Amino acid sequence: MKRRTFIKNLTWGGLSLSLPPLIMGHPLIKEQSPATAPLVAIVQGDSPSELVTTAINALGGMSQFISRGDIVVVKPNIGWDRTPQQAACTNPEVVATVVKLCLEAGAKEVKVLDNPCNPARRTYARSGIASAAKAAGAKVSFPNPHRLKKIPLHGDWLKEWEVYTDFIEADKLINVPVAKHHSLSRVTLGMKNWLGALGGNRNQLHQKLDYAMVDLASFFKPALSILDAYRLLWRNGPQGGRLSDVKLVKTLIASQDYTAVDALGASLFEIPPEELTFLRLAHQKGRGEIYREKMKIVEKKI
Amino acid sequence: MSRKKSKTYRLLQFTRITSQLVFFTLFFILLLQTRFPGKDYIGEVEIFFHFDPLLALTTYLASHLIFNLFLLSVITLIVTLLVGRVFCGWVCPLGAIHQFSSFVFKKLKWLKTKTKSTFSPKLWKYYLLFFLLISSFLTLDLVGFFDPFSFLYRSFITGILPALTLVFSALISLFYQLHLFTIGDSLVQFSENLGINTVFLQALGLSLLFLFVLLLNLKKERFWCRYVCPLGALLGLFARWNRLKIKIDEEKCIKCNLCTFECETDAIPYPPEKWTITECVYCFTCSAICPTGAITFPFKLSPQRTAMVNLSRRQLLVSSLLGALAVPFFRLSPDRHRASAKRIRPPGALPEEKFLRKCVKCGECLKVCPTNGLQPALTEAGPEGIWTPILVPRIGHCEYYCTLCSQVCPTGAIQELRVEDKATIKIGTAWIDKNRCIPWKIGEPCIVCEEHCPVSPKAIQLVETQVRQPDGLLKTQRAPFINLEQCTGCGICENKCPVVDEPAIYVTSVGETRSESNRVLLETLATGGDPY
Repeated sequence: MKRRTFIKNLTWGGLSLSLPPLIMGHPLIKEQSPATAPLVAIVQGDSPSELVTTAINALGGMSQFISRGDIVVVKPNIGWDRTPQQAACTNPEVVATVVKLCLEAGAKEVKVLDNPCNPARRTYARSGIASAAKAAGAKVSFPNPHRLKKIPLHGDWLKEWEVYTDFIEADKLINVPVAKHHSLSRVTLGMKNWLGALGGNRNQLHQKLDYAMVDLASFFKPALSILDAYRLLWRNGPQGGRLSDVKLVKTLIASQDYTAVDALGASLFEIPPEELTFLRLAHQKGRGEIYREKMKIVEKKI
Repeated sequence: MSRKKSKTYRLLQFTRITSQLVFFTLFFILLLQTRFPGKDYIGEVEIFFHFDPLLALTTYLASHLIFNLFLLSVITLIVTLLVGRVFCGWVCPLGAIHQFSSFVFKKLKWLKTKTKSTFSPKLWKYYLLFFLLISSFLTLDLVGFFDPFSFLYRSFITGILPALTLVFSALISLFYQLHLFTIGDSLVQFSENLGINTVFLQALGLSLLFLFVLLLNLKKERFWCRYVCPLGALLGLFARWNRLKIKIDEEKCIKCNLCTFECETDAIPYPPEKWTITECVYCFTCSAICPTGAITFPFKLSPQRTAMVNLSRRQLLVSSLLGALAVPFFRLSPDRHRASAKRIRPPGALPEEKFLRKCVKCGECLKVCPTNGLQPALTEAGPEGIWTPILVPRIGHCEYYCTLCSQVCPTGAIQELRVEDKATIKIGTAWIDKNRCIPWKIGEPCIVCEEHCPVSPKAIQLVETQVRQPDGLLKTQRAPFINLEQCTGCGICENKCPVVDEPAIYVTSVGETRSESNRVLLETLATGGDPY
């Protein structure tokens, strides 16, 4: 290769590499100005798996969030020893469909795990999530005590905590919470779901739960949040028990903006988002949008 | 005259070892299977116990009830009547452990068999048997301390398996330190799937007891089987009329006495008139090692007279008397009169007196408990109740939809429950220590107990309360209150309380469904109505 061609190639190559950010706007700058309205999909319908596919299509397909070769961790709520009908855990069909879509988008591996409140072997089995996710091709694993590490979380309040490293080593995180009543944060949606990625004496976090939720959500920063409100637990949360604690809402909300998902999720409980401390805090810190009118909402009914 | 060892008996001996190995493996697999099976109901993982006629008999005597499940033990008895104590020699997994360890000790030359000792208290086990039978008949069931299956399961469940699991876990850590993460991860998942409970009160003591019994084999081969095992004694009594008799070919016999020397029990093959039918476990060691192949065990249809253990009538009377005498001495503890707070029994457990008559302390419930909360009692339930199961919520709670302990109980001391009936059973009641509770004491928010309460509507309700602060000012905070009617006593609140050392909410046995006296709330009678 001649020196001249080398320099030419170098110049063109360098230019072409630096161009995309210039054209598409620098990611850092984009994040600091939340002026762009987040795209949120709200879907209603009879089939939990169709809710997921329709919502993801409305957001532009799973390839918007997952790149080829990614290792993806899907974080459902598998917290309780309850059946899907009791709506204490994420709907297994929803989880399975998310796994399937990730794999179709070219994910190298999809892991599904959660650190439950009841014994993991029971919650994984009785929630139906383990078998459904496995059948969809995910690697379902119990929380591994050898993978628990104290990690600096750089939160405003929560500085460090024990986290399962699966969540840190993943290329992409997808949060798949279930919409439930909760007696402290009033509702438990996506942001609260991150307590399931923690170990240690996490029950202590309840003394400043809203702060912990905000710090955890911005630490984990999921690529996509999918709120399962197919069955909604409207009282006696976060476990319910009686079938009368459950309302069939048949809704699913998805977005890249996790605060937008939680804000719209709160409206299913007829709670204005600004009434919820964790959403107000997250919004003040510029973590995302919570006002419906400032979102770009795609509503679909199947 | 040929001087050859018997090939047939060599083969039989080999078959016997294979059989022992198979039954031990079966025992071990069933033991590992004694865990949450991924669905609500578990299979017959406790089947070994149902073949145990000693448990059948003592449980029957103590509780005056016959159980269908123990019908299987009739098989053991019939086999023993026909061919003697083959159960001890061919089936019993504890017998296999003793035989194997004796073999090892012998090979290592730790066993001093050279000096022919006169130490042979082979009658002990018969006296122990009579002691246990009489005390059982008088409703004191102590068989769980000595039954070979109870002893074996208990030792494995509380000591050996947990220790093996910890060693395995240390090995896994090693893989992680060597950065072999994939191997480490799959080993962890394997281990988590086995779900072995590793935390047990008295784990060390129970393991040491097992070790001690194992080390007794240094004194004499199969020490336990020869001198202690009450099940062996019971089967020995039944073996008396069996049809497999030793036959020594007088022409071939060179009177070397090797058979008697090598006999693993006290059966004394030579001289034949001394051979004791009640002691022989048909291991066929004597016929296999006989240098001239003189010993055979032909099956004879007509019973022949043979020697039997020489039980002294006086000793039997004394041991039976001791069995009777033991009853009042075991009943002096205060637990008989007043329930103890920490004696929280598993759901479905019979009323205490009936429970103690049936529980054989095998530890199956401790093994299957998905939270590790069931623990062997020491002082909580009196001397009769040592090693019976109690729930220690600080270690693990009682899972709301789980009835596994009731399903694996071999004697029905914990009555089998359907999952849908579980919610109707209270095992205790939760109480709040307001001096330690976060909202009650410092006025900070905490709802952990309420959040974990599995009952719907929740037995723990949050109520706005005024809390005096250290600066003297009042602060309003939502603090937990307990609805005694709703609370099932599962103990998850105690287990999850963030005040970890001495939880601010705790469960005591009061209010348990099975007791009519250990109550707080007076329930309206089923006939209902206010009489006034």
